[in-house]
Amino acid sequence: MRHKTVIPAAAPSEPGLARREEPVREFLAFSMATESYALPLGAIREILKPPPITEVPRAPRDVLGIISVRGRITTVVDLRRRLRLAECTPDKHTRVLLVDSGSEIMGLLVDRVMQVYRLAEDEIELAAVVAGDMSEYFLGIGRPRAGKLGRDRDETREELLILLNPVPLLRR
Amino acid sequence: MAGSGDHKDGVREEFLAEAQEIIESLSRDLLVLDQGQKEGRVDPDLINEVFRGVHTLKGIAGMFGYHQLGALAHALEDLLDDLRLGRVDVSPEVLDVLFEGVENFQRLLGEETETEGTVNLDAYAASIERVSGGQARQEPEDPLAAYDLDPSVLSVLTEYEEHRLRTNVVQGVTLFRLRVRFSLTSIDSSLEDLKSRTKGIAEIITYLPSMEGGEGDFIDLDVLMASRVSLDELREAIADDDAQLSEVRRKQDAKTPVPPAPEPKSERRSAGSLLVEEEPLDEQVVVPGPPRKPGGTGTDQGRDMSADQLSLRSVANTVRVDIGKLDHLMNVVGELAIVRSAVARLTEKIRGRPELRQLAIELHRVNRGFERHLEELQDGILDVRMVPLGQVFDKLARIVRQVAREHGKEVRLVVTGAETEVDKLIVEELSDPLMHIIRNAIDHGLEAPKVRELAGKAPVGTLALNAYQKRNHVLIEVEDDGAGMNEQVLREVAVKKGLMTREASEELSREEAFNLIFMAGFSTRTSITDLSGRGVGMDVVKTNIARLGGVIDVQSEVGIGTKFTITLPVTLAIISALLVRIRDRHFAVPITSVQEAIMLDPSAVRTVEGREVLTLRGATLPLCRLDQLFGLHLLPIPPDPKQYIVVSSVGHRRMGFVVDGLHGQQDIVIKSLGSSLTDVRGFAGATDLGDQRVALVLDAPGLLEEMLSSGEFSVAPGLRS
Repeated sequence: MRHKTVIPAAAPSEPGLARREEPVREFLAFSMATESYALPLGAIREILKPPPITEVPRAPRDVLGIISVRGRITTVVDLRRRLRLAECTPDKHTRVLLVDSGSEIMGLLVDRVMQVYRLAEDEIELAAVVAGDMSEYFLGIGRPRAGKLGRDRDETREELLILLNPVPLLRR
Repeated sequence: MAGSGDHKDGVREEFLAEAQEIIESLSRDLLVLDQGQKEGRVDPDLINEVFRGVHTLKGIAGMFGYHQLGALAHALEDLLDDLRLGRVDVSPEVLDVLFEGVENFQRLLGEETETEGTVNLDAYAASIERVSGGQARQEPEDPLAAYDLDPSVLSVLTEYEEHRLRTNVVQGVTLFRLRVRFSLTSIDSSLEDLKSRTKGIAEIITYLPSMEGGEGDFIDLDVLMASRVSLDELREAIADDDAQLSEVRRKQDAKTPVPPAPEPKSERRSAGSLLVEEEPLDEQVVVPGPPRKPGGTGTDQGRDMSADQLSLRSVANTVRVDIGKLDHLMNVVGELAIVRSAVARLTEKIRGRPELRQLAIELHRVNRGFERHLEELQDGILDVRMVPLGQVFDKLARIVRQVAREHGKEVRLVVTGAETEVDKLIVEELSDPLMHIIRNAIDHGLEAPKVRELAGKAPVGTLALNAYQKRNHVLIEVEDDGAGMNEQVLREVAVKKGLMTREASEELSREEAFNLIFMAGFSTRTSITDLSGRGVGMDVVKTNIARLGGVIDVQSEVGIGTKFTITLPVTLAIISALLVRIRDRHFAVPITSVQEAIMLDPSAVRTVEGREVLTLRGATLPLCRLDQLFGLHLLPIPPDPKQYIVVSSVGHRRMGFVVDGLHGQQDIVIKSLGSSLTDVRGFAGATDLGDQRVALVLDAPGLLEEMLSSGEFSVAPGLRS
């Protein structure tokens, strides 16, 4: 296979936080610039090493282009541009996350994929006020108590995850 | 990939597909019924068909939990029952209610996929009430009493059959009795045969196993028929030498010997449960009835003796296929095509090694066989996706009737070429634009009957729908013989709406003036809504057609009529394309859009009114530099580059697209871009070129439109920075 793909296990098929009322939610965390972001695991279909991306002339600036995933033409969005973060050059850690936007599967270019976090209800703070016109992109803030999945509960190092809402994020 | 693949969803899809089919069939039957009613003859079989269709719909709706739909079906079923039993007459008002019923079914089907209960049917329920109540016919003195029919026979007829019998008698239709002998193993088909032989000249009211029973593997049936033709004609039509046909006489004639069919008198004397004078029946006529059709629709009597019951639904030799499955197959075929190219390349490489030459030759031969079969497979799958345009034309026929009534116009719809086939996806997308054009034609184009008469035209307007194939395109024409469009008025409106200056409007050619109606903002109506409440304009129609890779043209003559012509590619799926290069980017141009490709001679380029043009064989060819349009012009280019022009024509418009390189022709599978990219103009999709490369497929007609209709290019940001 040309690129290594990782398919998250046990991925339920519903994107978005609103529809479920479970005490523990799983998120895939990745880094962009200096921040850590995360998307609900259920929305993520695959993780790819970025294949050659074909630019689409006259497409919006944050659309990097299109790729073919097993025959299906998939649009790739540059998350940095969509979130209006500073530009940087891709490196060997850059990945494309295939995310279910509700109406189609789209690709999101991210700097580096980190890990899956399971967050209990009290570790999630839903978005109250996030300034600007991008507020609908954000679900809230995640503060996992543990550094790794369930282990090292004594560590007091606090991780801050900016939780993103896939459907509004990918919608034009 | 996205999509739940839930079992529940799959089952619901089944229901929706079946319900859709029933509704379409109902629609067709109602149209025929409507036509018949206008001409004064109503086919009772048809009413029965409609009744059964609604009954089935009620059943499956209930089964799948579509309660509102089921309730509506129930109400209509009652009305239809009244109709077929003659309690209510088939009138235009009733037909309207029925048509509206079908429309409501359609709406309910459409919305129940999302939420339930947003369709309000109270007003409609009231109209059903209105047409069904208060129309009871008073029973005249029973005419059947005058006939020679055993009362015990009458007692076993269902209410429906009795009604049919009575109707025929009242209308003075002659009753006949036919004794036939059928083999037990083929009763169904034999009856079907008899029905088809007599269809049109006689009605089969009922049939009963004869008192004599039969012998061995045969059964004798007595068939009661009604016909206006003579005994001899009927006998000829039945064409069965063993059958005995006789007329059922009125009581006062009973004493006169009935002219017999060729049979010995003794046999006839002992025959039959239907002729009362011959012998009184000591026992009740036992009518176990022919085997009930499994799953057949029951009637209110619980036991249906109607001849219709045995008629088998014609088993269609078709399979319903989910179009997603076809898409998948197309994908696979596309991948195979790429593999085939790779094998060809490898074969070439191997051929270059002298020691492997023999092997290479064999491989080449095998690959050719592979190619052949692949092409066949490709063609086969493409063919499966093709459906006749009749599918959408049928729906439109219903709309025509409705809109005509709404606007008080009389319209005659003439359809030709309904069998012309087009890709299923295209057909789906066509119904809305066509519907809009037809609405316009009936509303604005065709004049009211009185106005037409004053103009010396027939009061009934004609709307013609015509479809035919021309090389790689399908043409659909919508023509009306109405008032036509006045180009002067159109020019005025354009100026008034601020769409162009007066000078510009005067410089338009006649054809361009007519095409003004396709400009955004042109519409002469302030609020246009279609059935679903969306505002639609001719510009949207044009955009939708452009999205399918087609174009629309209009011609008109004041006082004579207007004709719209839609030109579409036959299929969107696998096509032959010309690969072109702009700087280092590759694009594909569908061959159907390429008239020719020539080298660009920079010295031949002229500039006319700010636009670059070229003279090609005496005609002016406007040029479009794709590198600029796509914002790629800043990319490096070799010094003194060779450039090419891809001449594209759609309809009778042409444009030359300037590219940096031509890279041969190739079969490609066009795949659609995601919905997130629908706003990006100029691309019909994208294709896999093999080894991970993806190329965009140019939408030449769309680009042509864009370039020719806008005064300026909509340039990519690259140009500005």
